[in-house]
Amino acid sequence: MTARLGPHLKASALVLPLVLFLALFFVWPIIAMLKQSVSDPVVHNTLSQTSAIAAQWNGKAPVPAALQDALVADIRATTDRQEMGAVVRRLNSAKSGFRTLMRKTRRAIRKTDGPINLGEVDKRWNEVAWWHTIAQASSPYTDRYLLAALDYGRDKHNQIVALPEDASANRTILARTFVISLSVMLSCLAIGLPFAMVIASTSGWLRNVLLAAVLLPLWTSLLVRTTAWFIILQNNGLINSALQALGITDQPIPLIFERTGVIIAMTHVLLPFMVLPIYSVLLSMPGNLMQAASSLGAHPIVAFLKVMLPLSARGIASGSLLVFMSSIGYYITPALIGGPSDQMISSVIAFYATESANWGMAGALGLVLLSITLLLYVVYGRLSAEKKGVA
Amino acid sequence: MFPTVKKAFGILVMLFLIAPLAAILPLAFTSSALLTYPVPEWSMRWLTELVTEPVWRRSIANSLIIGGGTTVLATTLGTLAALGLRRYSSLFAGVLKTFFLLPMVVPAVVLGVGMQVFFVHVGIANSYLGVIVAHTVIAMPFVYVSVSGSLAGIDPRVELAAASLGASPSTVLRTTTLPLSLSGILSGAVMAFATSLDEVILTLFIAGPHQRTLARQMFSTIRENVSPAIAAAAFVFIVGTILVACLIMLVRMRTGGAMQKSVGPGIS
Amino acid sequence: MTEQPYIEFRKVSKVFGSLTVVDHLDLTINKGEFVSLLGPSGSGKTTLLMMLAGFEDPTAGDILLGGSVLNRTPPYKRNMGVVFQNYALFPHLSVAENIAFPLKRRGVAKAEIAERVNRVLEMVQLPDQSEKLPSQLSGGQQQRVALARTLVFEPNVVLMDEPLGALDKNLREQMQYDIRRLHRDLGLTIVFVTHDQSEALTMSDRIAVFNHGKIEQIGTPQDIYDRPNTHFVAEFIGETNLIPVKYREGDHSRCSVTTKTGKDLEVTSPVTLFRGTEVLLSLRPEHIELGDSAEGLENAMPARISDVVYQGDHLRADIEVDGTKLVARLGRHLPPHDPGDEVFIGFRPQNARVILP
Repeated sequence: MTARLGPHLKASALVLPLVLFLALFFVWPIIAMLKQSVSDPVVHNTLSQTSAIAAQWNGKAPVPAALQDALVADIRATTDRQEMGAVVRRLNSAKSGFRTLMRKTRRAIRKTDGPINLGEVDKRWNEVAWWHTIAQASSPYTDRYLLAALDYGRDKHNQIVALPEDASANRTILARTFVISLSVMLSCLAIGLPFAMVIASTSGWLRNVLLAAVLLPLWTSLLVRTTAWFIILQNNGLINSALQALGITDQPIPLIFERTGVIIAMTHVLLPFMVLPIYSVLLSMPGNLMQAASSLGAHPIVAFLKVMLPLSARGIASGSLLVFMSSIGYYITPALIGGPSDQMISSVIAFYATESANWGMAGALGLVLLSITLLLYVVYGRLSAEKKGVA
Repeated sequence: MFPTVKKAFGILVMLFLIAPLAAILPLAFTSSALLTYPVPEWSMRWLTELVTEPVWRRSIANSLIIGGGTTVLATTLGTLAALGLRRYSSLFAGVLKTFFLLPMVVPAVVLGVGMQVFFVHVGIANSYLGVIVAHTVIAMPFVYVSVSGSLAGIDPRVELAAASLGASPSTVLRTTTLPLSLSGILSGAVMAFATSLDEVILTLFIAGPHQRTLARQMFSTIRENVSPAIAAAAFVFIVGTILVACLIMLVRMRTGGAMQKSVGPGIS
Repeated sequence: MTEQPYIEFRKVSKVFGSLTVVDHLDLTINKGEFVSLLGPSGSGKTTLLMMLAGFEDPTAGDILLGGSVLNRTPPYKRNMGVVFQNYALFPHLSVAENIAFPLKRRGVAKAEIAERVNRVLEMVQLPDQSEKLPSQLSGGQQQRVALARTLVFEPNVVLMDEPLGALDKNLREQMQYDIRRLHRDLGLTIVFVTHDQSEALTMSDRIAVFNHGKIEQIGTPQDIYDRPNTHFVAEFIGETNLIPVKYREGDHSRCSVTTKTGKDLEVTSPVTLFRGTEVLLSLRPEHIELGDSAEGLENAMPARISDVVYQGDHLRADIEVDGTKLVARLGRHLPPHDPGDEVFIGFRPQNARVILP
């Protein structure tokens, strides 16, 4: 036993640093992001007494006096204006009107040190609905971001409902992300499948040159490739200059900040991921199957449909999944080449995280993107595992 | 079957793949302030700006510091793990291997959001250490794949032979295993450096103004005030890539080892 | 034979870049004939087959089938069955589907397809395997499926490109026998590419020996073996001793030559030559006879045995004659000889053949 334990220990010692590193700097950040998507600590932390009592309340009128007293006490105890501001923002986002209500209430509380009847300060405190909002917000966890990520929310009865059209952009963005990814995948397939077949049908230096053409962009920086397209697609860029010089058009065709440009550039960037899996499948196939089909009486088109296509199906599936999976998370290319209506889910996540500091929404949309990606990866893993099994 | 169609198609696709890269190279040497053809006059103006303008100079230095740190950290961690896992094929080992490749799969923006939150929490946001750590997470899989590949290519009998000739396990590692997997380690290191050099998204989320890298600087230049400096920076990138590719070729030829280039998640 | 040739190559050439692979080649093949194209790799035999199948276009010349030019006919309209070296079975189709493939392309009715598939599987002795995938079969079985797939649509010609190269010796001999039997029973026209001379000798009606894109000699196995016309053919087919001699006199069948040491030998020659022409004498090892004296031997010469090796069914002896080293294949019933023994060798005139160097 000890004789076998030695090597295992050594192996563990070698693997452990990376495992710890990834646990700390890869897994933990993802968990942190996921936590952001469900955490709602503002009201819970600041209005702590209120939150404790609200947790006991059954939600029925009349509003318990203890809850009212706790709120007064919490407001009185919170001297940090920023902290209170965050609470007000949070409550107002759930039910508009809270901003004025809270301003009025705080002013009243600041005037006196004695007990206060909130109903007298503002009649709204007599309505259960406002207290419901506080009670809902007082839980440290929330599903509002996750629901909002899919354009759902809760109504006053706490039921899940679809958000109104004007407040729901996320589903549109998700749909757009899928449409763009699908277009990129299809154009990669349309170019990549025949090109892989061309490479497989060649040999010697010609094959090496063709492969190098596929690999070179893969080795080149993504940013550089995107920059290249940015320059080429401009209104006074290479493509439009060429078209105008040839007299095909007298006005520049808008390509930059347009959907077409995004799809062209992303196709260029992701094409190798389509070509290489298909090529490797074609390569594992005996080179004379098409000849065999032909000698058996199959027209080239029939031979392609009956022999080439079924045999390269696995490569096509792998390549398509790889391209699709990569494109749904794309950020740089749409950000630089696309217009406002070409932004994909990653751009929206980045917007929430870096520009509006809305971690909850960033986290929730991140969770959506992560789930889709991992799902696709599992399918892809299955596919490549099967391939190994067959070979 | 249709040789002309085939030839024409092949040439068109090659053009599509390579022409964009070729097209921006001359613009690095334009004298104009615009990124347009035809180039009015050739000039070193923009390449000079890269090394004289403090913003660009700073970002190049940052890229080298962060890229260097990432390369060392990712190569160390990835190589150790590949050595540790090389003899194992159990389910648990399989899970670990998949886990090591996962950073290639998780969308960078998702990772960026998480890191931003977490790094602020532990106090390494806006620091070189934070950026290096973040880049290491996504650069490590390339090292792992590359080193595992070259380790798998070593004939185990060579190591047994070394042991039978009187080498202790650590001597076998030092004199046999590591030299034989050198090409894998080096190409992994190069890929790690390239990954760090090219990284924009994580940097966007976690780097402060003092850690602005060349890629990050290019990204914001394109967004804010387009200037041929980006073509010059792209030129530096492409030349760097070609140099690095030549370096790898050289190492491959010298060690004679077959090198595996990973092309994507799970393809090894 | 008086009938017109079934397949005809007329001055066919194939050039790849600067390399001439097939060089102004003429060849005719009759219906029902089994012709082997034999030669070392790179001699153009496979290229010729590929041109016949339609996978390669000739650079010059015409290929005719039944009197009409085939050059522009695409492979799928030629109705020629090709058996490939690696079998080229469709890995995603079962045995039955592989065999049904050519029938489906020809629009044969379903019921008939099933019947014909079964019949051909019987023929190649592979019943009960029809549902398997090619990867589940052994090499020999795959070979039989490939053969069945070709035979099932009754092609005009069956083209075989080193079909037995991947099989081990026993299996190869069994397949040689089976292919031979199918050829005879079905009256097939077969063009068979091989680099294995014993395979060609066993199976063919005629053999075309290829070298550098040309046919060196074409004839029956016996012609090729017993009467090689060129140095290349003599060396490529079987084993032979080549003795440098000078032509002396005679007509084109029987003639005499002189050895280096001035001894005259009675031999045969395919052509009449000028006196004194330097030629080679080809003498097969099994045609060398051994005796203790010159008595009873034709063309007797004194010789010395340098080595004798036991080879199971025969003895192989290295012999020195006038400073020339010869190999002889001796019957095992001969009285034992030891290295160093002085003996006499001889051979019959019809067994020694003059060839041009």
